Amino acid sequence: VDLLTLLSPMSALLVAVGVLIGIVFGAIPGMTATMAVAVCLPLTYALDLSQGLALLLGLYVGGISGGLVPAILLNIPGTPSSIATTFDGHPMTLKGEGEKALKVGIVSSLFGGLFSVAILAFFAPLLADFAIKFSYIEKFLIILLAMTVIASLSKNLLIGIFSGTLGIWLSLIGTYDISVGGNGKTRLMFDFMVPYLENGFSLLPVLIGLFGLVMILEEAEKGYREQTLGADVNLSARARFSLGIFKGQIVNLFRSASIGTFVGMLPGIGGSAASVLSYTQAKNFSREPARMGTGVAEGVIASEASNNGLTGGALIPLLSLGIPGDSTTAVLIGAFTLQGIQVGPLFIGEHLPVWHQIVAALLAANLIMFVVMFFAIKHVAKVITVPKYILYPIIIMMCVVGGYAINYGVMFDVWTLLLFGVFGWGAQKVGIEIVPLIIGFILGKSAEVYFVKSLESFGTLTIFFTKSPIAVFLWVLIFLSLGFSVYTTIKDSRQNKRSGKDA
Amino acid sequence: MLKAFSSLFRVSVDFSRSHLLFPKIVTVVLLLLLLAIFLVYGIPYLRDVRRGKRTLSVSGRRFDRLRFFGTIVLTIVYFLSMDYVGNFFPNMGFGFLFMSMPFIFLLSLLCVHGLDRRKFLALSLNALIAPTVAWFVLARLFNISLP
Repeated sequence: VDLLTLLSPMSALLVAVGVLIGIVFGAIPGMTATMAVAVCLPLTYALDLSQGLALLLGLYVGGISGGLVPAILLNIPGTPSSIATTFDGHPMTLKGEGEKALKVGIVSSLFGGLFSVAILAFFAPLLADFAIKFSYIEKFLIILLAMTVIASLSKNLLIGIFSGTLGIWLSLIGTYDISVGGNGKTRLMFDFMVPYLENGFSLLPVLIGLFGLVMILEEAEKGYREQTLGADVNLSARARFSLGIFKGQIVNLFRSASIGTFVGMLPGIGGSAASVLSYTQAKNFSREPARMGTGVAEGVIASEASNNGLTGGALIPLLSLGIPGDSTTAVLIGAFTLQGIQVGPLFIGEHLPVWHQIVAALLAANLIMFVVMFFAIKHVAKVITVPKYILYPIIIMMCVVGGYAINYGVMFDVWTLLLFGVFGWGAQKVGIEIVPLIIGFILGKSAEVYFVKSLESFGTLTIFFTKSPIAVFLWVLIFLSLGFSVYTTIKDSRQNKRSGKDA
Repeated sequence: MLKAFSSLFRVSVDFSRSHLLFPKIVTVVLLLLLLAIFLVYGIPYLRDVRRGKRTLSVSGRRFDRLRFFGTIVLTIVYFLSMDYVGNFFPNMGFGFLFMSMPFIFLLSLLCVHGLDRRKFLALSLNALIAPTVAWFVLARLFNISLP
């Protein structure tokens, strides 16, 4: 509670604004927390780092939480991370327990959020302290590990790795930057591209294009159908909400929040995995597993506690290692670079006040989210009805602002938006996965510096194995994650074959 | 023996060419992966195509050509015109302001289903108000550069 006093009134206000906008974004199906953060980034250009982060963290928490509203009322997850909320939330609405379900979801979200803030506050400095001793070699291996984990957890190992590598490749276009010890020469391009791509593609237009425009294009392809809001959505409370629902669910709360936080820490897997995973775990441990899916509070608790647990978890690798834990934190990296701050093991130590502000803002965001949603849920539920034909043009407009302003007015950045918007749309059609690609794009340049500099100073490839016990340990982890994924792939394909024979 | 083994891994990096080392590795890996993907998924897929089990075209599902390509064309025209108009009024953000209005208006018209007078009024007002608010808040209050 002391922490909250660290927040200046201005930051507190920004958190509140962020939470509100975030909830709206989250509540509108198809618009995600990542988009909310990406679209609102330009607003932070005029703010300093801690204020900007206050706004963005508010958006993050609000965006993840808002997703439960349409999930429960319409059976459409407002964000991917509330997918498992629909399993039990919507049946509850059909039983006339809509308001109860919403409030159960909100309380669980609050718990998950607070839990993950606590873990973040405790764990990130520890990990950072440990990582400070890393040399370029360990840092390179950490990135390699992050990439293999992402790939092995994506839908398809081979394509996951391909997507990540493609991201790295895209990040290398441009100059080998002198400021990090490169020789300032350009590569991977033709001469005519040099004036535009001398510094490569800027991170933010790429992100905004991939997360903002892609979604609009996908909607356009489907013809901008409006979600039909059933007239049967009534919030009249037949079943009253009381904290008594949570009796006997404490274990469920803790388990789900932990799963969420842990999944958040792994790079590249988002909230949907966290939500589904903790839902299945809740089912496994449930006393009455058969009732799950028919509209019991247990399922809503599991899903919502875990997806808000994700928020703090995803920030851990970001703030201690500089590796984003999910797509939203990937966009957050943009906010840091915008302010000229490198996130990595040194961040917490060098920017202690900012670190405290981050924790405070995250804490405040969860509390504000709770207050707003718990007491104004009926009004929040109405935003689902904002028509798309009003919303989408505005989103494109905001994307333009974000792209243009990032480098103080470079028109090429706006074209980058469109380029990556169309690219991302096509990429998803052929199965390339966006999240590994983004993380590869973010980490690619650092990976190059660590790799090349290590070779320059040691002159042998074996150094990557022999430098330190940590290096060996990281290799073990890399092979474990690869092995795990190969194992599951083989198991799945065998199962498929068997079920194919049965059929 | 051990010495020969370690020399196998010996690499010396020439600084003036060091900008090419990592991109080259990544490109090679990328191509190898592409080849692997083609072998694992592409060949069975093509075989199915030849047997007539599947078709190469991705269409067939519901694909709203008018709205999809309309959105892309509108966006391109929007970007071009914004840059063009903006050059007449440097650093004012007018290109953004004046071009966003017709863009939002047209894109709304493209999106909307079952247009009636109420919807038309709403989207027209939105096209006027939204860019003005965005322009005022960002360009005037926050001094963010706009085209």
